[in-house]
Amino acid sequence: MKCFILAGGFATRLWPLTERRAKPLLPLADIPLLSYVIEQVPPDLPITVSTNAVFAEDFKKWKKTIAKRNIEIIIEDVGHEDQKLGALGAVAQWLEDKEIDDDLLLLAGDNFSACNMQTFLGLRRNQPLLAAHDIGDTELAKQFGTVILEKGDDPLKNILAFEEKPAHPKSTIVSTGWWFLPRQYLSLLREYAAEHADNVGGIFEEFLRKKIPIDCFVFHETWKDIGSFESYLSIHREVVGERLIVDASSTVGKNVTLKGSIAIGPKTDLVESTLSDCIIFGKTTIRNCVLERCIVDEECVLEGVDLSDKMLRAGTVLRNRC
Amino acid sequence: MRRMILLACWLLTDIVLFIGAYVLAYFLRVGFLLSTDFPMPPYLQTALIIAPLWIAVMVQLGIFRLTRIQSDQRNIAHILFACVMGLALFTLAYYFLHDRFFSRLLLVYAGGLSFVFTLVWHLSFDQWQRRVLRRSPPAYPLLVVGANREAERFIKLLEERQSPFKPVAILDSQGSPLKDIAGIPVLGKLNKLEEVIRLKKPTHLVQCANLEHTINLMSVCRQHGMTYLLLPSVLGAVMGSSERIEGQPVILVSERNW
Repeated sequence: MKCFILAGGFATRLWPLTERRAKPLLPLADIPLLSYVIEQVPPDLPITVSTNAVFAEDFKKWKKTIAKRNIEIIIEDVGHEDQKLGALGAVAQWLEDKEIDDDLLLLAGDNFSACNMQTFLGLRRNQPLLAAHDIGDTELAKQFGTVILEKGDDPLKNILAFEEKPAHPKSTIVSTGWWFLPRQYLSLLREYAAEHADNVGGIFEEFLRKKIPIDCFVFHETWKDIGSFESYLSIHREVVGERLIVDASSTVGKNVTLKGSIAIGPKTDLVESTLSDCIIFGKTTIRNCVLERCIVDEECVLEGVDLSDKMLRAGTVLRNRC
Repeated sequence: MRRMILLACWLLTDIVLFIGAYVLAYFLRVGFLLSTDFPMPPYLQTALIIAPLWIAVMVQLGIFRLTRIQSDQRNIAHILFACVMGLALFTLAYYFLHDRFFSRLLLVYAGGLSFVFTLVWHLSFDQWQRRVLRRSPPAYPLLVVGANREAERFIKLLEERQSPFKPVAILDSQGSPLKDIAGIPVLGKLNKLEEVIRLKKPTHLVQCANLEHTINLMSVCRQHGMTYLLLPSVLGAVMGSSERIEGQPVILVSERNW
């Protein structure tokens, strides 16, 4: 079996945090999100990470931090979202270029899942399998591929219907970015990708159209798609909890109050400030501020400001001189 | 640079017009001759001294600002006020320098002529300046953030009025299905911001939507030395602002005075 991780998106909804870095490399408790995904993959599986030209160097640097794993980075030579080959197109291209004729574990690089991947893979049979999670919110379900399952208590269920990003979801059980495809279905994937290069979920609709049965494993552990400010902060709270993660090169001065989930990257100076549920990427100075639920990118200077529910772009300088 | 040259020309021609108005007033009052009873040189000297001060008053009133419409009622009132101030300064200066005064009617002529000359010249210069500033490449390319109806209305207004601020591109954080709005291309989402700034070199950015990105857009403007504008409608306000562009209220944030 081969593992292919999709990490070529531009994550425009998370602008400005994704202006300089790919979404899978956003820090979660000071560790890149993608590293959590890699940790889940069985150690003997060769991994291919597909990204785009804009973030290629960042992924190469990240790869060096992952020791003892067989990881290959492939670069889609695009600089914009509108030039993209498409996620499924990238998979098909890789299958063709490398002449892959093996079972495929396809993963989204920007999802956080507490589900055990060994459990998921242990359930695989000789038919497509996907992992799903009940998000319990119809409105939110519009952003994902939703599944309608057969009734029963078995953790492995048959998919009766699959709808990619439906306007009116009939279910709140969504596909979570973990897919297993046996080798005999890869030719169909390539054919489908030729016409629908950007529709990963669409391949499952195609399987159902061709009467190919699909298994679904519904798990109940935490799962989040890091697609928005709210979801990023929410998973940050879940992973960090009430801990305080401060890089050794950062300084927390006098009269600093840190509450809730706090992650502070390298070379940050905190002086006379109060932070609550914040992510500070690093190389930042925060003086006499009150920050609540904020994500601050690198190289910012904040002095005398009170902010809540904000994402701050790298290099932001806010000095309240009043 | 184009604007600085135009502004220098504008200030210079205004000084010439101011002195010209005062000289014409002299001849209208005295007759078209150089009187020995009321000699021209001290009169002209006083007008020359006052002209730069009069210009300073006009600058302080914001009459030369790009956002000003010269035919606007407020602007005409400001020109009138500046001319009255010029006249008052002239009278005082003449009194201090030459002690005795000459003719009250001459002052009425000078004040009236300086106002008419300045107003007519400003109306003409404004039209000409707009054309020059909009010539490709425009002197003030404007990047529009937001692809909503407010953005469309604002773009149309700028185009109709031949504003010096020429919209060159639109970005929208949600991604717009439209290819262009009022002829201005929609180039994508905000992740293209740096690239669009590099390509289009906007001097101004106007935010017409996406309130959540205000701080970051201001940060971008600060980093690139651009002037940030915000349509009050983004804040839910449709009236009430100290700054206007082509009659449209805007909130303007700039580290520069000009």
